[in-house]
Amino acid sequence: MTVEVSSLKELVEQASGDDRSPDTQEYFVNMGPQHPSTHGVLRLVLKLDGERVLRCIPVLGYIHRSIEKISEHMNYMNCVHLTDRMDYLSSIMNNWAVSKAVEEAAGIEVNSRIQTIRTIFAELERIQSHQLWWGVLGMDLGAFTPFLYGIRDREVLNDVMEETVGARLTMNYVLPGGLMADIHPNFVHRVKEFIKYFRPKLDEYDDLLTNNVIIQERLRNVGILSPQTAVQYGATGPVLRGSGVAFDLRKDHPYGVYDQADFEVPVGTIGDSWDRYWVRVEEMRQSMNIVEQLLDNIPPGDFLVKKLNSKIKIPEGRYYSQLETARGILGVFIVSDKKDEPYRMHYRSPNFNNLWCLEPMIKGDYIASLIGAMSSLDLVIPDIDR
Amino acid sequence: MGIVTDKLPGALEKVPGGNVLVTRFDEIINWARASSLWPLTFGTSCCAIEMLMATGGPRHDLARFGAEVARPSPRQADLLILAGTIVKRMAPRLRTLYEQMAEPRYVIATGACTISGGPFIYHSYTTVRGADEIIPVDVYVPGCPPRPEQLFHGLLTLQKMIKEGETIREPGVRRKPVISALPEGITLEDIQGEMKELLVKENVVDVQHAVDKLKWPSGLNESSSGDSGANERGAGDGA
Repeated sequence: MTVEVSSLKELVEQASGDDRSPDTQEYFVNMGPQHPSTHGVLRLVLKLDGERVLRCIPVLGYIHRSIEKISEHMNYMNCVHLTDRMDYLSSIMNNWAVSKAVEEAAGIEVNSRIQTIRTIFAELERIQSHQLWWGVLGMDLGAFTPFLYGIRDREVLNDVMEETVGARLTMNYVLPGGLMADIHPNFVHRVKEFIKYFRPKLDEYDDLLTNNVIIQERLRNVGILSPQTAVQYGATGPVLRGSGVAFDLRKDHPYGVYDQADFEVPVGTIGDSWDRYWVRVEEMRQSMNIVEQLLDNIPPGDFLVKKLNSKIKIPEGRYYSQLETARGILGVFIVSDKKDEPYRMHYRSPNFNNLWCLEPMIKGDYIASLIGAMSSLDLVIPDIDR
Repeated sequence: MGIVTDKLPGALEKVPGGNVLVTRFDEIINWARASSLWPLTFGTSCCAIEMLMATGGPRHDLARFGAEVARPSPRQADLLILAGTIVKRMAPRLRTLYEQMAEPRYVIATGACTISGGPFIYHSYTTVRGADEIIPVDVYVPGCPPRPEQLFHGLLTLQKMIKEGETIREPGVRRKPVISALPEGITLEDIQGEMKELLVKENVVDVQHAVDKLKWPSGLNESSSGDSGANERGAGDGA
């Protein structure tokens, strides 16, 4: 971090130093850490020429809670619970990522009922996450109504999940070796009701925001991310797919029971903010398709393969496992030294890589476009800092 | 005068040509402060989704308590809802934000992290163990994250504190911080019913109750009775 701070200082000195040219003087503006549009405590140092953004340097660490270090002092059952607080909008998928890594490393086989329920919940959570993103995108661009619509429908889905899980946000539902609890008897019925409720609402979303001229003007041809840059920067999820690269772990390396479901991976064309927007709205439809297909044939079985105690021991070695959250690929890297605690636990979080795409996207564009482009990245800051 | 004066703390006297409101400055200022808290949009992590977004949404609707005008600038806000973990790097910024807010300012600490460090209390080299190590906190709302109803409970607790608390003679002197935890076994219906009851009660202020609540300086309380209250008060100040 010290390197970054000193380089920032040098940059500022360069810009404000002996610039005696008659052109506009370049200057720096801090955006954040306390800013309504940064979705948390992200700090962006903007080098500006008038209203044009010449450089955009993210400065991190304002919510670094040392989750990876704490994990080294916890057993594998407890590590799971910290991951809800990383990307809190895809908490079940985060739990699943750790559970998947531990299960693969320790050789625990889970039955198909557990996998099906995990997949259904992951897709429901993806819908919930995109609903919130949709509302907040509208709010960032100056429209408050989408926020009310998005939150309204998110509460309906939250109720459905809360009945089974017992929590609204940090769900802690998936464990290594199974689930915390079996699904509620009402669950299947209520999810069907929700999908019946939400399909027409999604068309309403299109009428309200997608086909809105102002939104199109603000998002189209703004923040273009070429597929080459997206791959170079390690972008994943809707950011990568918006740039036209059809890479989705659910399709390309299926986990859970995604191979049983028939769904499409929406892909953008030129990689502007509009493509990322469209990909996410379309993903909500596809997620509902997946849930509908899996809902009717949840196989019977236990929700926990066996009563696991906290002493899961993993053979010595390095293990990596990854899955697709609402924002991209979350990878879990475990270094084990035969104890019940990890020697090192590392998370490859999707938001971290997606964040760095901001500079190539926005170079030379206006500050106002930066807000829209950043909103289309759908960043969750605690996942970046961990 | 209609609807507005119904809620004003004080006694409304009918005199020829209009009404005279008999009240105290402390009483009416605290009433105004408690009823229009403007929160700062400050969210560091998970709690922000529940505290700022879900409560601002249509189901929970913070506007019912007059606290929905979220301001991004600390200069315009007087309520700091601490939503999310405070880490060492953020701590000086939080202190600056708090100091930039205009007096009187109130702080609600929501979630386990801002109360004690929460799940990050052990083995963490960055987490601040409780936001009250940096700034004074008025109300603690426990939970990880707390439900929106729990924030409302905390907000109502803060409103009660403000109404009873500060006086002009002793500015800044308030009641000690409280924990606004929901009792165990309470259900959502209970909270909603209680809030409904409270809102109805707030709508209909018993004027006689308000008069009884006004504590005049010594000597005046006995002599003042009914209509001549205002005159007595004036004479008392002159003496």
